[in-house]
Amino acid sequence: MNRKRFILIILLIGLIMISRPLFAHHSVAEYDMTRFTSVKGTVTQFEWSNPHAYIHLDVKDDKGNVENWSAELASLGMLSRVNWRKDTVKPGDEITVFGNRAKDGRTFMRLDKIVFANGQELSAHVR
Amino acid sequence: MRNRLIDAIVCGAAALFLLPAILAQTANQSKAAGSAPDLTGVWLIDQFQPNLFPKGNAPFTPWAEARFKLADPKVNDPNLACLPHGVPRIMFVPLPIEILQVPGKVLMYQEAGNQLRQIHLDRAHPKEFDSLTYNGDSIGKWEGDTLVVDTTGFNDITWLDHVGLPHTEALHVIERINRVDHDTLKDDFTIEDPKAYTKPWIAQQIYKLKPGWEIAEYVCDNNKYVYHGK
Repeated sequence: MNRKRFILIILLIGLIMISRPLFAHHSVAEYDMTRFTSVKGTVTQFEWSNPHAYIHLDVKDDKGNVENWSAELASLGMLSRVNWRKDTVKPGDEITVFGNRAKDGRTFMRLDKIVFANGQELSAHVR
Repeated sequence: MRNRLIDAIVCGAAALFLLPAILAQTANQSKAAGSAPDLTGVWLIDQFQPNLFPKGNAPFTPWAEARFKLADPKVNDPNLACLPHGVPRIMFVPLPIEILQVPGKVLMYQEAGNQLRQIHLDRAHPKEFDSLTYNGDSIGKWEGDTLVVDTTGFNDITWLDHVGLPHTEALHVIERINRVDHDTLKDDFTIEDPKAYTKPWIAQQIYKLKPGWEIAEYVCDNNKYVYHGK
């Protein structure tokens, strides 16, 4: 069992490593690539645009305060190749975004994947 | 006996019918043997190499070292303004490239910015450049199965990699592009710029064929990054 888990972890690390080439317009220097962050919120806007697409969402904390988060995605050509469409997420959708947060602490991330309210996951990686 | 006769007639007729096609194919094959290798198709880099000197041992001149220290990919990367990557950086971008071969040219249609890189096979560099450009002037020639591309005539705006290797207008790039196998393309770079580097240096990028892919539109119309100038 432990061995299986070890192999799974190695495979996941490998997947993350080969997934890096997705972002083309600029380097990943502004993101903390050493750790992942996830936040759950309500989509306010999905910008289906080049050089990057963006998901904007309102995230409520325990006290009811709302933070505006944004997640940056790849270019439209690459997203289309992994089944993203302009209506993949819509305002009002409850989703969890998972990715690498900006090093400067802004509520901004480089998207790795989203998880829909029904638990379905969609990767933002091209391969 | 009768069947044998019919067989012979059918075979003879078939041979006569197919003869022109067989002869034509033989002619095509001998023509193909003397023609350029086929590099056409949509290709994508195999491994992303944002930093061409990951150990930090670039042979900088003092000018280039000072310039490199000012480079900040979050602030002054020329590509943040959606300016062209230039050569060689465009060949290291993780977006597909479609190679097209037409008489006198090899064309590289880049998804990044939907730019067309032209490699001229039928002329030399001009003695003087009317204007210096992001992608420079690329002249190619075939050496066996390898396309050797000599590029010069660059402006000094671009970076050579994604982390800020600088260059001057003296930049000279030689590429040796070779289709290693059906699915693999290799580009070996020799980069020299005596004003920025104390010696020529090399880099290599491998690409994989992407059957069924088409180059997508890429218009940089929602750029949220601001380029703060040279």
